[in-house]
Amino acid sequence: MKALQVSRLTKSYGSVPVLKGVSLELEGGERVALMGPSGSGKSTLLNCIGGIDRPDGGSIQVGDIQLEQLDEEGRCHLRRDTVSTVFQFFHLLPTLSVRENIEFPLRLQNIDSKERGERVTKLIEEVGIEKRAVAFPHELSGGEMQRVAIARALTIRPRLILADEPTGNLDSRTGESILDLLESLSDHYEIAMLVVTHSREVTRICSRVVEMRDGALLEEVTA
Amino acid sequence: MREWKLTAVLLLIVALGVAVFLSIRLANKAAVSGFGMFTESLTGQSDYLIRPKAGDIPNESLSILRRELGGIPLGLFPVFEISGTISGEETVLRVMGLDLVAMQNVANYSQGVAAPQSNARGDDSGPSFLERGDLVFSGMAFSEAREIAVGETFILVLGDRRIEVEMGGILPENPNLPSIPENLLLVDLPALQEMSGRIGVSRIEVRFPNGEFRKGIEEEAAAKLAEVAEANDWLLETPAQRKDSVTQMSAAFRLNLTILSGLALLVGTYLIMQAMEAAVIKRRAEMAVLRSLGVTPAEIRKTWLLEGLATGVIGSALGVMIGIGLAQGMVGAIGRTVNTLYYETTSNAIRPEPGEIAFSMGFGVLASLVAVLVPARDAAMTPPAQMMRQGSPGGGLVLLRKRWLGVVLVLIGWASAMLPPWISVSGSIVPVGGYLASVFVVVGGSILIGALFRPVAKLLKWLGQKGSALRNYTASHLAKPAGRHLLTAAGLAVAIGMSAAMGILVASFESTLTAWIGQILKADLYVSGGGASSVENRSTLTKDTWQRIEAMPGVEGADVLNQYRIMIDGKETVLGASDYNDDPSRTLKMIWLNPPADTSERNLLGPEGDIYPSWISESFSRRFSVGKGDSLELPTPVGVKELRVNGVYADYGNEAGMLVMHRSFTREWFGDDEVTQMALYLREGEDAERVAEAVRGEFPSLQVRTNARLREDSLRIFHQTFAVTYALEGIAVLIAVSGLGLALAGLLIERKSELTTLKSLGATRREIASGAMTEGLGIAVVGMAGGLSMSFVLGWILIDVINPQSFGWTLTYRVPWSMFMVLTIATLIAAGLVAYVVGYRNAEVKSDQED
Repeated sequence: MKALQVSRLTKSYGSVPVLKGVSLELEGGERVALMGPSGSGKSTLLNCIGGIDRPDGGSIQVGDIQLEQLDEEGRCHLRRDTVSTVFQFFHLLPTLSVRENIEFPLRLQNIDSKERGERVTKLIEEVGIEKRAVAFPHELSGGEMQRVAIARALTIRPRLILADEPTGNLDSRTGESILDLLESLSDHYEIAMLVVTHSREVTRICSRVVEMRDGALLEEVTA
Repeated sequence: MREWKLTAVLLLIVALGVAVFLSIRLANKAAVSGFGMFTESLTGQSDYLIRPKAGDIPNESLSILRRELGGIPLGLFPVFEISGTISGEETVLRVMGLDLVAMQNVANYSQGVAAPQSNARGDDSGPSFLERGDLVFSGMAFSEAREIAVGETFILVLGDRRIEVEMGGILPENPNLPSIPENLLLVDLPALQEMSGRIGVSRIEVRFPNGEFRKGIEEEAAAKLAEVAEANDWLLETPAQRKDSVTQMSAAFRLNLTILSGLALLVGTYLIMQAMEAAVIKRRAEMAVLRSLGVTPAEIRKTWLLEGLATGVIGSALGVMIGIGLAQGMVGAIGRTVNTLYYETTSNAIRPEPGEIAFSMGFGVLASLVAVLVPARDAAMTPPAQMMRQGSPGGGLVLLRKRWLGVVLVLIGWASAMLPPWISVSGSIVPVGGYLASVFVVVGGSILIGALFRPVAKLLKWLGQKGSALRNYTASHLAKPAGRHLLTAAGLAVAIGMSAAMGILVASFESTLTAWIGQILKADLYVSGGGASSVENRSTLTKDTWQRIEAMPGVEGADVLNQYRIMIDGKETVLGASDYNDDPSRTLKMIWLNPPADTSERNLLGPEGDIYPSWISESFSRRFSVGKGDSLELPTPVGVKELRVNGVYADYGNEAGMLVMHRSFTREWFGDDEVTQMALYLREGEDAERVAEAVRGEFPSLQVRTNARLREDSLRIFHQTFAVTYALEGIAVLIAVSGLGLALAGLLIERKSELTTLKSLGATRREIASGAMTEGLGIAVVGMAGGLSMSFVLGWILIDVINPQSFGWTLTYRVPWSMFMVLTIATLIAAGLVAYVVGYRNAEVKSDQED
């Protein structure tokens, strides 16, 4: 089954069209880079796929879930159970520790504390931040914060990860290691990943690169 | 849009604080200034008042005065004042007897209310008071309220007398003066003396002639008047002095109201402070840019102070407008309390005095400036780099995080409570130490409550173990409270603390009063004259009347009491002349604070030579600094008598104090065998209601109340007294809860990025709202816990420091647990609802607003 199917998606803000009939598909475990200049509609597309924004037309299917059929509550559950997001600015909850941040989505899912503990401990090891588990976000470096954000995104074992400039706020060396981490975890858990980026470096972990311009997808560029 | 809303709420908070403060002051002033104002104007601007120290001034005093003053051309106007009522009504009327002939002969009455014409109808058709002794005159309000037209008759009740009188005319209003009060009746003086069966006058008003002549005689006349007053043991006062000495009686009550009104402003100050702090945090980046462009910290501070000033001025101006309207609504309630407890007051219209408005505006502006001072300092001092850094913890307000300072302030408060009261030049007692202690405890306590956030957060976290992600997340915010959390909880704690402390005071008062009433009200029936509502309204039962009642079937015995308003050391107090019953089963059951040592001391009958035995109330003891064993000089119409104090008893009936003697002495000194009250003891098995009906049947003008009814009435008056207090407390809590909503709204706006994260993680709008509700409840729990803890200390200060010093009453400390429960539940429900709504509204983050 396909991880993501977007078909003829349209969206306007007022009289300004932002998405003009975008269609896109991702296979399970596939990683696709979405490139394009600022204002081309990349983030809007991500928001529509994540259910944060509603498209004006077209359809989105994540796994076997048809987004148009979901109400607000259903979209929240989509993000809670199926789709995770990794942001450029990490967006960790500042008053929660590293461990609590990673655990948070599991709490939303009402997973019992034993299972939560096991899953979080394993993920902390996998992303390599064992020594920082009790630290708070403001005590972490950028790379560490992004590792926490990735662990948080993986904790619910999503079908799809939406990554918005995951290395955009990191130096190149740290960015490299984050990309390696995303690649290995995506392979390991067979999670599809749509990565919005301006960086050609990011495309090295993607099987396909699609370019967006003025709200429309251009011809696919093979990575 | 949100900025606009926040600014509006901020202005509203300042406005509400100032409005409450101003309205209380204006209403207070109007209610109190009603006293004397009309009396002064009635006889046209008196220059002096001559009053007796005890009893009435004999009729012949007028000729004594004229003789002593020789040829000095003064206007002397005797006034006889008495209270009464109209048959079938309970409203107390002031019935004033004036020498109407003399008033008509005085040329210049343009400044006062015109005396009624001899024919008040203004034509020749009606009777004249010169011919008829049953004519009364009133203002239009009296006539309209009762639909009594000129020429119609009605029954006027004076003590135990019922007199049919005729409305002789309507007094014309003077547009320069307050309207004539509804409860005033004017009668020709000799006619009123005849109606009431009393001779003598209450006072003589003295007026100097106007014009050039006045200056020449002013000094000489004043000196001569003082000499005559001294020789006759009278009091000579200017109307202003008289007004001061009377309104002094309610000074403590009014001061308490003013302090309570200040509470609203204090709570408002906390809220403005947190709103300003929020504004500072919100505009950190903007300030960082300004700093990086070379703007100095001093200039930034100045900008914020200007903003605080503008908020203060605009909010206060708005508050003044609201306050004037509010005051008009309040004056009636305060007036009723003053009427019930202290003295007759007639004013029902407030006057928006420029001085009061300026004072309240100044207070509002000052509170706004104080509120903005600390955030402004923070804003100016924070380095630009820190301001620009993402996620840097917002809000300094370091003072609120210094727990040691809280401990020091509370300790200073405790030490202040030990200070003796301050006695002003006018003799009023101000419990400065108590008030200082309250302020220190409130400020210190509001710093210390910050320590409660951690345990509350831990509790929430523990509850959150069961799975609620948002509860856990909320707990994490409360564990590291921002300045806004601290300020909001402090504002709530102050409002709750002071309201609960007033609750403790009221409960203690009520419990003490109930026990006292239960102890002293042992008789079956209580009888008093019609139109008597307090000591001020002396309304009597003649000897014939009270002896006939005593002899009625079913009555086994009676205690009688005659009360006189007297002056000791220039201060008004009450002399109670009691003819108490010696039957041990029904003897007056006093609650002694310092009891008579033995039966001989308890007995008020046995004078030792020229020294007469007496008891005094606790308030009397405090006001005149006398105790058991001390001597006292009592002014009487037959000269000064020396008394010895044999005991001090608890009395919550009046704060002017009471001196009790046996009536056998006062009957002789005052030449008066009348009584003001009777307590009847019925024979075994007699039905109190039946006997009451019998007494009413025979003496329809008297007030006859059963024991149960009197208790009910006493408690009703008690609750009425505190009605304004309850309203003020409600406003303070309302402001605090609104502040909680405002604070949460601000916090959520600041956390927009976190809300986006929560939504991206799958949190629903309802879950986010529930999280906000939990956070609001967490703050409310801290505020409640801190406020209630504070209230125990504040309650102690009110009961053991302020109250004994202000009123001289010893109260038993009682905590109104049920009221606390209601206050807690109501506040938590209100806080939870406000927080949920604020959370729900702010949880809707539009994608185009996101990163």
